[in-house]
Amino acid sequence: MDSPEAKAMPLEAAEKLILRWDSTASEDAREKMIFESERVEIDRYLLAVDEVRRSMSGVSLSDEDPHASSTIQIAMARLEDEFRNILITNTRPLEVDSLAESTHSISQSTYSLSESNHSFAESSSHHHPSDLELYGGDDDDDDDLGSDEAKSSARRSSSSGSINYRSTSSIREIDLVPAEAISDLRSIADRMISSGYTRECVQVYGSVRKSAVDANFRLLGVEKLSIGDVQRLEWDTLEVKIRRWIRAARVCIRVLFASERRLCDQIFSGMGTAIEDACFMETIKGPAIQLFNFAEAISISRRSPERLFKILDLHDALVDLRPDIESVFQMKTAESIRVQAAEILSRLGEAARGILSEFESAVLREPSQVPVPGGTIHPLTRYVMNYSSLISDYKQTMNDLIVSKPSAGSRYSGDPTIPDMEFSEFEGKTPLELHVIWITVILQFNLDGKSKHYKDASLVHLFLMNNVHYIVQKVKGSPELREMIGDDYLRKLTRKFGQAATSYQRATWVRVLYCLRDEGLHVSGGFSSSISKNVLRERFKTFNAIFEEVHRIQATWLIPDNQLREELRISISEKLIPAYRSFLGRFRSHIESGRHPENYIKYTVEDLEAAVLDFFEGHPVSPHLRRRSQ
Amino acid sequence: MPATEYQGSFLSRISIRRNQVVSMDGNHEQELEELEIFQKNISERFSDLISDDSSSSSNSASSSEPFLSIAWVRKLLDVFLCCEAEFKAVLIMGRDPSLISKPPLDRLIPELFDRAVKALDICNAVMHGIDSVRQCQKLAEIAAASLEQRPLGEGQARRAKKALAGLLSAMGIDETSGGHKSAERSWSFGRRGGGGGGVSVTKDRGSGQSRASTWGVPKNWSAAKQIQVMSANLVAPRGAEASGLAMPVYIMSIVTVFVMWALVAAIPCQEKTGLATHFQVPRQLGWAQSMVWLHEKIGEELKKKEKKGASPVGLLEEIQKMEKLGQSLLEFSDGFQYPVPEEKLDEAAAQVADLTETCRRMEDGLVPLQHQIREVFHRIVRSRTEVLDVLDHAGKSSAPSV
Repeated sequence: MDSPEAKAMPLEAAEKLILRWDSTASEDAREKMIFESERVEIDRYLLAVDEVRRSMSGVSLSDEDPHASSTIQIAMARLEDEFRNILITNTRPLEVDSLAESTHSISQSTYSLSESNHSFAESSSHHHPSDLELYGGDDDDDDDLGSDEAKSSARRSSSSGSINYRSTSSIREIDLVPAEAISDLRSIADRMISSGYTRECVQVYGSVRKSAVDANFRLLGVEKLSIGDVQRLEWDTLEVKIRRWIRAARVCIRVLFASERRLCDQIFSGMGTAIEDACFMETIKGPAIQLFNFAEAISISRRSPERLFKILDLHDALVDLRPDIESVFQMKTAESIRVQAAEILSRLGEAARGILSEFESAVLREPSQVPVPGGTIHPLTRYVMNYSSLISDYKQTMNDLIVSKPSAGSRYSGDPTIPDMEFSEFEGKTPLELHVIWITVILQFNLDGKSKHYKDASLVHLFLMNNVHYIVQKVKGSPELREMIGDDYLRKLTRKFGQAATSYQRATWVRVLYCLRDEGLHVSGGFSSSISKNVLRERFKTFNAIFEEVHRIQATWLIPDNQLREELRISISEKLIPAYRSFLGRFRSHIESGRHPENYIKYTVEDLEAAVLDFFEGHPVSPHLRRRSQ
Repeated sequence: MPATEYQGSFLSRISIRRNQVVSMDGNHEQELEELEIFQKNISERFSDLISDDSSSSSNSASSSEPFLSIAWVRKLLDVFLCCEAEFKAVLIMGRDPSLISKPPLDRLIPELFDRAVKALDICNAVMHGIDSVRQCQKLAEIAAASLEQRPLGEGQARRAKKALAGLLSAMGIDETSGGHKSAERSWSFGRRGGGGGGVSVTKDRGSGQSRASTWGVPKNWSAAKQIQVMSANLVAPRGAEASGLAMPVYIMSIVTVFVMWALVAAIPCQEKTGLATHFQVPRQLGWAQSMVWLHEKIGEELKKKEKKGASPVGLLEEIQKMEKLGQSLLEFSDGFQYPVPEEKLDEAAAQVADLTETCRRMEDGLVPLQHQIREVFHRIVRSRTEVLDVLDHAGKSSAPSV
């Protein structure tokens, strides 16, 4: 790297030149920088340094000229200052904009669901659909958070890296310092190191570059937060910070640190890997620890169900970064950084397991006792099923993390407050799948308990039908969830709501249809049994009264699912209408031949058909059944 | 190694416990006995930290590590890890998990967690502090290596002087500018180094420590404040609680705060003002007598330093030595004129040897010390997780499923 054109310089002239640039000696030397002068001047100075060094290597240590050692020291102090100055003046901040733009898509890929910051406890109290995204809306079709398409695109972008942020999806080294400055820095570093000033060189390099990294951290929004701060922050604030951190970490590791590593290589290659590594570590050790501290703080923060998916996002991001962390920090001296990344990953996994377990406890113990009006879908059901369907979206990660079966089963504990689950029925299921099934089991267990708070037996069944039907619909609506739950268990669930529907019909309609039976109407005796008009009139009156009451009450009940509502009405009609028609057909004449038949036969078949359409709409109808046929 | 020695007794304790659990149902006497053993062990471990020459204690087998040296701090951390392991055994092992979700523990455990989080932040801050000590060590090594050369010329003296000035400025003992705060870098990127740039560049050299201390924890974070908050709600359990699980929780909290306090005192750490008065070990507790003594000794040192004006970098023996030798050798280098009188050279040579030895002890001890602090960090996190798991379990079922 010596200038080829420069000729040898007499030692005396060399020493003179070095002394002229002694910044402790003259104002002029302090004001000007050699490496900001003409190239000729730079070359002359470097030549002078080489000359003095050469003159020293000739003499043995013992009679080394104190004068020459002094000159070399002056030169080295000068070169150190020059080195620092070149580094500082050539340091440009990272062009964050170009990176930020490319990472923009990440910020939008988060699920709205996982952004719900409501604690589980709130699920028990009143629910405002507008507030609680996790509960979903009332419409079955759009009640999960974000369409499937949005979800799958989010998964795509977080794993394989879409075109949008290709720039941070793999290591991308950029030029932190322009090439011409590099060659100056190399020519200085080489002289400092071969003169035994390695420590000074490493020190000055590290201090300047560390400040540069610090400045870039500020540009990237990498914050200094203590673990205590992270514990105190509200979850929605933290969610934003996690998202930002993931973005920043990608840039830090794949661009910033990787480029710092390359800069060390550019300046110090050929001067020993120990020096290269020392310079790199000096620069990034503090920043790297600071970067990881946030993820570490998150990994040990409070566990609550709504945090699961952001923790998984963080986990996924780190898994994704892991090979690049291993590569950028491959040297022995950076072992602690690699280890810390591994520790954080394992803690995040632990946190995810802990949260899932807490979620299960919460589902089991969710204490709300106030029945939802009209027997409709309980907020808990929506919450839990949306949660399960998110779990299925994160199936890949969760399968790696959840390695043990749920700790369940009253068979073992003899505890009647815990439902039973026979795991042997689910052979071949992964632990995660068993957890998802278990969550469904405990949800139903909890719902069974809640159903007991309805005073009307029919409503108990309607409530269970609604909720189990919702569970089934959610499972069917998500291929991943369906696969996890499995067709066997899905059939079981389907059967269960079918049974609930049957039980409902029995509880309500047996009583009604009982009025339309033949028995008891005939006055026995002789050949031709005759009809007791009084009994018949009573029958009609009873029927009318019961039907009116059922109609009045059950119109206020709610089946939110259109199809289910339709089917149940049809099923009711199929039983009620033929029975009524036939009853009417057989006995109408007996009433109509008497006085005031309208007091007994209040409704036509069509009236009833129309009335059934009022059922399960969730709002009251006029107190008296309208007579549409009038 | 005290840690390994302890490991054995720890494991045997667990197995004893297991056996006992089967046969007992809330044997109060046994609980009291455990509590007594726990206190006794703590008392003994801390008395091991008092060395022969510095105490009147008759404990003959006690340590020879110089008080507040790196080796001593490592021993202190060993003691902490032992106490912590035993505490966990007392708190969790074989207990009915529902115990720790009931009063008074339902209140005390969150407080314990809160202290744990603050301890974790202190661990992080101290880790950075050690990094900054290592920066100083490198500067000291430059100076020592330079002054070791013979014949000692102007050049070597100048080189040493430069390194030592940087060292002292990094330690916050900057004679040329007013206080270490102003030694923080004032360069802004992209600005050309014209107009006096050379001067500022020269002055700014080597002020590694003041910058390093801003990594990791936020600017307004204060180690002294953390200690103060950690100890603020420490109240000794009374009445019936004094014989229950509230007691070990209290004891472990005192141990934790004391160890963190001592770490902050010994090692460079962001913002220590008022540290000497922020925490007191309760004097009346039998098991805490050694701790009280140690607290007094460290407190005296802190106050001595605070009286001198500057807030202390760290009471670590090696740091103190480095500072003293650094100052003395800076004087020597500053007034260096060739040739140097023989006796002055000998005196400097002795100090250089001392500095080299101090650097060697730092080189050997600081990285293991960092690993140990990281281990403390892990242990605190792990214990927290384990207690959380127990709580989760307690919340899930009243009876454990085996």
